Amino acid sequence: MKVLTLVMLLCYSFAFSSGDTTIHTNNWAVLVCTSRFWFNYRHMANTLSLYRTVKRLGIPDERIILMLADDMACNARNEYPAQVFNNENHKLNLYGDNVEVDYRGYEVTVENFLRVLTGRHENAVPRSKRLLSDEGSHILLYMTGHGGDEFLKFQDAEELQSHDLADAVKQMKEKRRFKELMIMVDTCQAATLFNQLQSPDVLAIGSSLKGENSYSHHLDSDVGVSVVDRFTYYTLAFFERLNIYDNASLNSLFRSYDPKLLMSTAYYRTDLYQPHLAEVPVTNFFGSVMETLHTDSVYKAFSSKTSNNKINSEMPLNQLSEHDELQKANIQNDELKTEKQKCPYTQMRVDLHKKLEKLENVDTVVNLGIAVMLLVVMVSSSLL
Amino acid sequence: MATEKRNKEEEEVKTDDGSPKIKPRPIVQLGIFLVAHSPVFSVVFSAAGVLALLILPLLAKNTYISENALMPGSARSMLSNRDVSDGSKLVKDIKNYRLNHEGQGVEVQKLVGKYMSEMVAEVYYQKFHPEGNQFHPLHFFSGPDSYTLLDNVSCASYGVNVAGIIRAPRGDGKESIVLVTPYDFINGGDYEALSLGITSTLFSLLARVTWLSKDIIWLVADSRYGDYRPVAAWLSEYHSPSFKVSDLLKCGERNTADNFRRAGTVAAALVLKVDGRSERFEDTLSIYAEASNGQMPNLDLINVVNYLAVHRQGFYVKVEKVVSLLSSSWLKIIGEIFEAVGKLAHTLNPDWNFGIPVADYLEGSATLASSLYSQALGIPTGPHGAFRDNQVDAITLKVSPRFPPDSKTRQHDFFLRGARLLEGTIRSVNNLLEKFHQSFFLYLLTSPSKFISVGVYMIAFALLVAPLPMVAASLYIEGCKALTKSTDNPTENLKSWKWLDAAKQVFALHLFGFIVTLLPYFICQVPGQHSPSNRSIMWGTTSSSLLLITFAAIPGCSPFTSRHHGTHWAVLKSVTISAAFIGLCLMSIINFATAEIGALLLVPTCLMAQPIKPALRSRRIKSMLGAFCSMVLLTIGFPVMFFAISKGLFGEGLVGLSLGGEFWTWLESLWAWKSATYLYIGMVHLPCWLLCLCILFHPS
Repeated sequence: MKVLTLVMLLCYSFAFSSGDTTIHTNNWAVLVCTSRFWFNYRHMANTLSLYRTVKRLGIPDERIILMLADDMACNARNEYPAQVFNNENHKLNLYGDNVEVDYRGYEVTVENFLRVLTGRHENAVPRSKRLLSDEGSHILLYMTGHGGDEFLKFQDAEELQSHDLADAVKQMKEKRRFKELMIMVDTCQAATLFNQLQSPDVLAIGSSLKGENSYSHHLDSDVGVSVVDRFTYYTLAFFERLNIYDNASLNSLFRSYDPKLLMSTAYYRTDLYQPHLAEVPVTNFFGSVMETLHTDSVYKAFSSKTSNNKINSEMPLNQLSEHDELQKANIQNDELKTEKQKCPYTQMRVDLHKKLEKLENVDTVVNLGIAVMLLVVMVSSSLL
Repeated sequence: MATEKRNKEEEEVKTDDGSPKIKPRPIVQLGIFLVAHSPVFSVVFSAAGVLALLILPLLAKNTYISENALMPGSARSMLSNRDVSDGSKLVKDIKNYRLNHEGQGVEVQKLVGKYMSEMVAEVYYQKFHPEGNQFHPLHFFSGPDSYTLLDNVSCASYGVNVAGIIRAPRGDGKESIVLVTPYDFINGGDYEALSLGITSTLFSLLARVTWLSKDIIWLVADSRYGDYRPVAAWLSEYHSPSFKVSDLLKCGERNTADNFRRAGTVAAALVLKVDGRSERFEDTLSIYAEASNGQMPNLDLINVVNYLAVHRQGFYVKVEKVVSLLSSSWLKIIGEIFEAVGKLAHTLNPDWNFGIPVADYLEGSATLASSLYSQALGIPTGPHGAFRDNQVDAITLKVSPRFPPDSKTRQHDFFLRGARLLEGTIRSVNNLLEKFHQSFFLYLLTSPSKFISVGVYMIAFALLVAPLPMVAASLYIEGCKALTKSTDNPTENLKSWKWLDAAKQVFALHLFGFIVTLLPYFICQVPGQHSPSNRSIMWGTTSSSLLLITFAAIPGCSPFTSRHHGTHWAVLKSVTISAAFIGLCLMSIINFATAEIGALLLVPTCLMAQPIKPALRSRRIKSMLGAFCSMVLLTIGFPVMFFAISKGLFGEGLVGLSLGGEFWTWLESLWAWKSATYLYIGMVHLPCWLLCLCILFHPS
């Protein structure tokens, strides 16, 4: 029995390590505008437009890390104070009431960006500024600014190189900070930024190939600057047609880019990404739509759970024996088991939990476990 | 100079008997080769230098906006008819007022001030004293505020500037843009009033826009005493406030004691002038950019104005050119040759497209010549010069409308376009985050949209002065040989000290040049009123007597001493050429255009200078021709002579008897503007010219 449990433990840990078996549980977005100065208005507008889109498609604000290198809305040159537009018709103010900028101005540095990705923050950094993703997260990383061959300029002062990005992604993968990652870059020569990526489950889209420029879409002659870039403009145009329940695939997004309209060639790197693009809905990254688990009687399960808690809390009063309690719990668990047969993962956890609770001699199990681990280590090292 | 020295050393190694022969390095060998064949190379290099200068219009590049932040023309103009009617109303009011009240400038100022304050600008009046510029040798290179003499001013003559500031509604107030309209409040003509109309139109708009990040200052400069002085006075007060209460403030009814308002650092300034009717069908816009000592504003500022004027508002844009060159036949022939060569090259290889039509070449050359001349003169071509002295980029825009000043309908359109041009420029500058720095500061214009950068035009100068060190080295060797032959005294055979006598003479004459340069200051101190002619005669006689004293005091200095006391002429020429080389190179750093024109004159003179006596004695045609050439060059090279010739060239008519007086006036203007050209003439050109004269009459 004990050995069986141990084997199960090991299996469990293996299952835990491989991302394929974990299921998509949450969505995150990291949206970065890397350039400052008034004439780069469009980069901030790009980022804010995408922020609005992913929010509309269901990613909540606390799961969006928004980095804006400059504050165009409050720039003295802005003819529309405290407003940012991505279209010359001025119908949609992107800088409305609900914009939560996490990193602003000079906080947008390569260091902070890499810290956000890898999660290596100083203690004082609040949770709202951290990317608290886990092994079930789908992350959208959108970056815009001025780029070149294998680099992206931050703030006119420093550069993020393709090696830095690849390294950060690798660290994220190893730390199980994502299940799938989509990197979308709108800069000149954006494709070069993905050259060094190696980690699996990463999908990358760039607005232009090496040697190509990414162009702005149109100029707002009231504001006096270009307000949106072509690649982002057409991306947004694609998403404007969608609502949260649409099932458009990533493939349809990629096909919507017309090199003639973009004046550059959109590039996608899919060799690190296993699923077939035609079967992946865009909302996997741009929205927060997850597989829902159907339960026959949700409220029943819920009520039984609360009753269980109640019993637990009332336990000292009722002087129930441990045995009885365990039995009751077993009955509850059995109920759950029947209810959630469709989900193997939950099932496994429940079983494990049950088994663990049944164990009487915990110390022996731990000692045995250590012994088995030593054995495994010895065997594996001798094999190597 | 370093190569020259090395050449000398190498030459000595070679001539020394018994010294070990080491094979010199290739660069040294090249140096020896050049020095050995210096006559040929000096001719080749000088010719190439002149040719490079002539070829410059072909090498001109199209201007482009270098600074990303400027984005000219990307914003729509927001001017409305209401703004224009504001401007028209001001012009009408000024005209009416002046018809009714003759000669009351103060009231017109108040009127302008009233208009400004109606537009919610902060208005103030500044009194200034008209005379500021006085020659003081010690203050030559000092700052623009060194002439504030506020001690004994009279209330009889003073000017009043009116200035209004619009604060940027959301700006940080650290930067500003200045608009200047010079206006003579008493005698200003109808055309001049139009410039007030345009600016007032613009000001009315700027008072209500939300996009300003820099404060806007509108300065109506009182141009009764010239355009430059009021602006300079305002700027000096702006940048260095004087805490001493001036007597000037008590003059007049209005007390202007402590209401001088400032905005932030001046990012750029535009001076707007409207004058005379355009000769062309379109309205003409002339751009003036040259400031003191050949300093230019950043090319981006000119580009922005040119771009907006040509592509948005349809002005005909021009820069100054030497009109007489347009019809000169020799330049036309050169242009035709270049065109033919360009066509030939194009047939050989379609990628070679350096040929330009003759007409373009002539235009380019005439503009280039004017650009060189204005920079060389070192006198600002407009009130923008005062800004450049404070390291502010500024240009003067002179607009000539195509209609008579009383045409109402045309005036509306003219105001609209003029104000839109200024609005676009201001919006571009407003977008700037830093000082102008992206584009060139050192350039010559060949048309409003073409320029030659420093890297290209320096080649012409470098080629021109390249023969000087070569010839100096070769002459030194020659002179040493001759001296060794002529004297048997072993103590005089210390080779390395043979140039000392010559250097003494060169130094003495340079010292003389320095004193002559300072003389005008003392002549100006002579009591009593003197005409410029008298002053120039005083200067001439003092200088001549000083020269005689120099020759008498320093033995061996004069060309009239016996041959045994004097140094060998070749060594003297060698040191002279070295001095000229150093002087020209130093000047090219201070003001390139002066050095270029100076080199054109000084290099042939120095290279051709040779004793006239042996040439005449030899009776050979070649040497006679050489002597004749050097005499002609020396005649032209005399500063007064050159002044007269250039006056004739520029079509101002040959000057008569009052040449001395005019020359004095010209020099006076040079030092009044603190032009380094004056120093160059006195301390480089004049001594070298005298030394060449010494060589010409050398008794060898």
